[in-house]
Amino acid sequence: MLVLSRQRDETIMIGDEVEITVVDIRGDKVRLGINAPRTIQVHRKEVYEAIQRENAEAANVQLDDINGLDQHIKRKQRPA
Amino acid sequence: MKIQTTRFGEVEVEDTRVLNFPKGLLGFPKYQDYVLIESGDQSRPNEESNFWWLQSIDLPELAFVVTDPTLFVSTYKVPIHPEQMLGLGLSSIDDAQVFVIVNKRGNVLTGNLQGPLVINVASRCGEQLVLSDRRFTTRVPLIELHQEAPTAMSA
Repeated sequence: MLVLSRQRDETIMIGDEVEITVVDIRGDKVRLGINAPRTIQVHRKEVYEAIQRENAEAANVQLDDINGLDQHIKRKQRPA
Repeated sequence: MKIQTTRFGEVEVEDTRVLNFPKGLLGFPKYQDYVLIESGDQSRPNEESNFWWLQSIDLPELAFVVTDPTLFVSTYKVPIHPEQMLGLGLSSIDDAQVFVIVNKRGNVLTGNLQGPLVINVASRCGEQLVLSDRRFTTRVPLIELHQEAPTAMSA
């Protein structure tokens, strides 16, 4: 991993289009400003990992888990 | 073409029904081709399904339950930027169909509203997006299942 030291208000460039600026440093928290084209999705890594985990768990759902559910939902939608 | 599936055995699918996710799904980048299989009761073919199986063509055991999230969360909207529309080859937003992956925890079905699947129904190309909107998490309860009454009880 490339490690760079930056102070407040200093920036690094990734390629020609992505800029990451250190906006604020307080204690153990760093605020970063990111300028990137919309084609590049920028998210906290935890969010990606949560979706990956959820996908992996959801891949374990079996037929029995949702059997008969369509009727179940129709009953709910249809007033008695 | 015939595909092998763990849950449904061998299934015949038309080539034109294959959905391609060029980036795969998050955590499953290698598996890019899927088909939608209706979850409905096979003995009632005319009943419309609310759930489908997104079945991998290449890995028999890989399948996800998906549903239309607006059936459960009417306020749910997926913002799609013009750049993302280009990526999906969407010429009109009307060609975009949104599904979410369903999981079961205990007797509650949850939907991953933070990582919706957006499919271009015209080109059959799809992508799993990541939303920053914190109202929508990976585990939004969709429906509570009623447990069958136990037929035996401990004495």
